[in-house]
Amino acid sequence: MAATLCIKLLPKQGWLPLTQTVRHGSKAVTRHKKPMHILKQKLMAVTKYIPPPRGAPADAYPPQSKRVQEGNPLILVMRRDLKKVFQDYKMIAVVQNSASNAEDMMVLKHRLHKHGITVKFFPNQVMLSFLMDSVYRNMAPLFIGPTVLFVSKEPKAKEMLTTLRASPQMTLLGACIDNTLLSAEGVASYSKLPSVTVVQGEVVSGLTMLTSRTAALLQRHPAHLSALLQQYVKQQSSGDRADEAT
Amino acid sequence: MISFIKAAVGGLAGVCRAQGHQGPLTLHSHLKVLSAGLKTYEIPPNYTDVVLPEKPKLKFMNKVPNLKKAKKEMKKLRDIQGPAKAANTFTSGQYAIVAMGGGYLHWGHIEMIRLTINRKMDSRTTFARWRINSPYKPITRKGLGQRMGGGKGAIDHYVTPVRYGRLIIEVGGKVELGEVEHILIEVAKKLPFPAKVMSRESLAAMQKEQADMEQNNQNPWTFKEIAHGNMLGIRKVLSPFDLHNHGRFTGKFHLPRRV
Repeated sequence: MAATLCIKLLPKQGWLPLTQTVRHGSKAVTRHKKPMHILKQKLMAVTKYIPPPRGAPADAYPPQSKRVQEGNPLILVMRRDLKKVFQDYKMIAVVQNSASNAEDMMVLKHRLHKHGITVKFFPNQVMLSFLMDSVYRNMAPLFIGPTVLFVSKEPKAKEMLTTLRASPQMTLLGACIDNTLLSAEGVASYSKLPSVTVVQGEVVSGLTMLTSRTAALLQRHPAHLSALLQQYVKQQSSGDRADEAT
Repeated sequence: MISFIKAAVGGLAGVCRAQGHQGPLTLHSHLKVLSAGLKTYEIPPNYTDVVLPEKPKLKFMNKVPNLKKAKKEMKKLRDIQGPAKAANTFTSGQYAIVAMGGGYLHWGHIEMIRLTINRKMDSRTTFARWRINSPYKPITRKGLGQRMGGGKGAIDHYVTPVRYGRLIIEVGGKVELGEVEHILIEVAKKLPFPAKVMSRESLAAMQKEQADMEQNNQNPWTFKEIAHGNMLGIRKVLSPFDLHNHGRFTGKFHLPRRV
């Protein structure tokens, strides 16, 4: 194999190549950049510097631990208002406001106003700085994004929920009713409870019923009463015997 | 500053109050602190520990080295290729002209630097120092109208080879960069290689940036690994020079943004 290749590749005897290349030594180039070999060009392209991916700009996200400037008089006034709100009102509901326009908000305010519920706006920073120092500290996670406060003097959860059903862009996040922190489901179950007066009436009626029945028994004929008592004694003894047997 | 003025006004008002009852009211109504026009000046830098040398100006450099027997040399292009090994950090000054590529400085360039800087800098507050040697490398030329052949020509002149990153001159003293920058820029533009005016901080920042680039390179393929590992027989087209400099230089030229 090798022999045949050699024979084929060897030039003919007595034949000179038509063009003879003259070999020069490599030139010392200092004036300009030497043209690069194509392989080296490829290598340079492959081994280019790739910077690390750029992180988010410094002001893209709010700083993690940023305290509101305490000295700002406007913030002090707002904090005072907040304190008053938490003192005066029994129901404080936190609602997320997802892009409701002014008209929707006005209609909602009007509907809530019928039930004596008012809508209040506070900046989240002020709210958080107030909550962190107060006993309502556990409400702080609710205040993320655009939030609105629904406050009322009486705990009117049912009315609030019916009104909120009509406006889909408002989402109830949680509420503080009678100094109790409730989730959205908690508020819904709270609204299903009967009112306090009804419950009190039931308790009173249940208590009075016992005495009234005793009185009715005593007013019956004595023979009837004695028969009932005998029956009761018999039942008691049979019950005791059954207990001993077992 | 404002608080100081307020205090001064308060003191003035207090004096007025002591003198008469009507005084402070009228004074207060007419005195207004104009805070818009007030300017707080920066505290000037402290130069107490700066010692100026006895001779602050650049020294004259010999055009021809003082040799007993001048010998013709080969071109030796290695002495302008790659990064500078010597005189690439600051010694006494604060600001410097730094070579951003290799090249040869003639005696003419050196005279230009010396005259410009000595003329324009304030020698009472500033000093300048050479960081290069006087021309020592002989360059041969054949005389005009001479036929080719007959051996190597005679020594024509001498040059100073400069590599990338070498400091040419250093300037220091009781000056800020803004005061000498225009002189140094004017000189740097006329040099036979790209040159930059740098301070100690900016040179350190440049070196740090290069180190950071090497640290944070997201490219898994680096020139160094490929060249040293001779991947796909690439050493055939690479020179030993590339093995040392990892493709950051081609001859005397520096290729920026490479690791």
